[in-house]
Amino acid sequence: MIKAFYIAKKELGNLFKTPMAYIILFIALSVFNFFFFLIIEENREATLRDVFLVMQFMLITFIPVLTMRTFAEEKQTGTMEFMLTCPIREWEIVLGKFLGNTAFYTIMVLLTSIYYLILKIFSSPDAAQILLGYFAIFLQGTMFIAIGTMISSWTKNQVVAAIITYLVLFVLYFSQAFIKYVGGWMKDAVSAISAINRIEAMISGVVVLSDLVYYLSMALFCLLVTRIIIEKKI
Amino acid sequence: MIETIKINKYFGPDKILSDVSLKINSGEIVGFLGRNAAGKTTLMRIITTYLYPSSGRAIVNGFDTVKEPLNVKKSIGYLPETPPLYANMTVFDYLKFAAQMKGVPLNRRKIEVDKVIWECDIRDVKGKTIATLSKGFKQRVGIAQALLNSPKLIVLDEPTSGLDPLQVLHIRELIQKLKHQMTIILSTHILSEIEQIANRVVIIKKGAIVFDNPIDVVRQNGNSLEKLFLDLHEEEAA
Repeated sequence: MIKAFYIAKKELGNLFKTPMAYIILFIALSVFNFFFFLIIEENREATLRDVFLVMQFMLITFIPVLTMRTFAEEKQTGTMEFMLTCPIREWEIVLGKFLGNTAFYTIMVLLTSIYYLILKIFSSPDAAQILLGYFAIFLQGTMFIAIGTMISSWTKNQVVAAIITYLVLFVLYFSQAFIKYVGGWMKDAVSAISAINRIEAMISGVVVLSDLVYYLSMALFCLLVTRIIIEKKI
Repeated sequence: MIETIKINKYFGPDKILSDVSLKINSGEIVGFLGRNAAGKTTLMRIITTYLYPSSGRAIVNGFDTVKEPLNVKKSIGYLPETPPLYANMTVFDYLKFAAQMKGVPLNRRKIEVDKVIWECDIRDVKGKTIATLSKGFKQRVGIAQALLNSPKLIVLDEPTSGLDPLQVLHIRELIQKLKHQMTIILSTHILSEIEQIANRVVIIKKGAIVFDNPIDVVRQNGNSLEKLFLDLHEEEAA
């Protein structure tokens, strides 16, 4: 288990040694800040509900850029051969990579916690609701990271990994829009995988067990698939 | 110490290795020789557990590579054809990370890293970022990571490929130093390298072992490895 943390630490450290980490943080926070001020100005409400919705949507763009290199880069540079011939279990590699990306994402989300402090200065926001909203954004992001990590393990090409991840997240996000065109079990299936509505209850301050199960099971499923893919030595 | 028993390996319909059986004893330095795509790297990858055989078995240091891969991995060091380096890490940080991955205990980690830095003569570059190193130094760092945790077996896939003559000389000297400490398997295209370093040569042709003898046997009757290799690949050379 400790090796997963070493890998996560290495991943996070290496990420901050490249311009990519700073570019993602700069663009993401700029976009979030812009919408935060725009929404607060427009709504005049001491809530981050709409800000979370914007963040959720923007994750579709930022997460593929974050996760594209996870395994694709290791395959491209040959370091995957090193990892897989070290005495480490495959799940430790997958977990380490996932935790490294999640740590970066957590930093990104934590940097937006200043929004709460700004609201607090001018009003009396519902701290519990906002905390739950952050938790929902965290869950959604980690699920997206698990999907991106899985897709990165399919290819050596980072751009291909990013594009496929983007498409998958896009479909997950907008699948609800296609629901009127399908019927029967397809309708149920599309509704079950749709990510867009899952976050709504939590950012409004309500915890729905099925939403928690959705996030956790999707993330776990993707990480298990990743493990199977990197373990495949045929 | 290492035994491969009738190993076959397929990639799709292509047969890469064909009934490869081999025994390597402790302390031997075995050179795998063969043309490109002969199957040398695939055999090495099976020995290091990176690949599973399609059929047959490989036993390394008493452990089956398919059933007990973790135990095999604990007892080997491996330098793939492309040194597996993280370009934006410093040499020291990379080796520290490699030591963590290889399970070197915390209280021995720094000692072990310093030891391989000394052995591979990379003291002057240990604080440098790997991306800034010459190919020769990168190769040494690759060998250094393979030496961490004092493995019983070290597998070097074309350790001198793409290096200039001086760098080749340095790597050869390094391997010479190691030969009294562990079993070494190395692959190369350079016949003279095998003659100088190995005490046994295994020639692989189209996935099968076509020659496996001590290097002294090759030298008997005034023969050379080059002549032997060309004789074995006569129809391809023609």
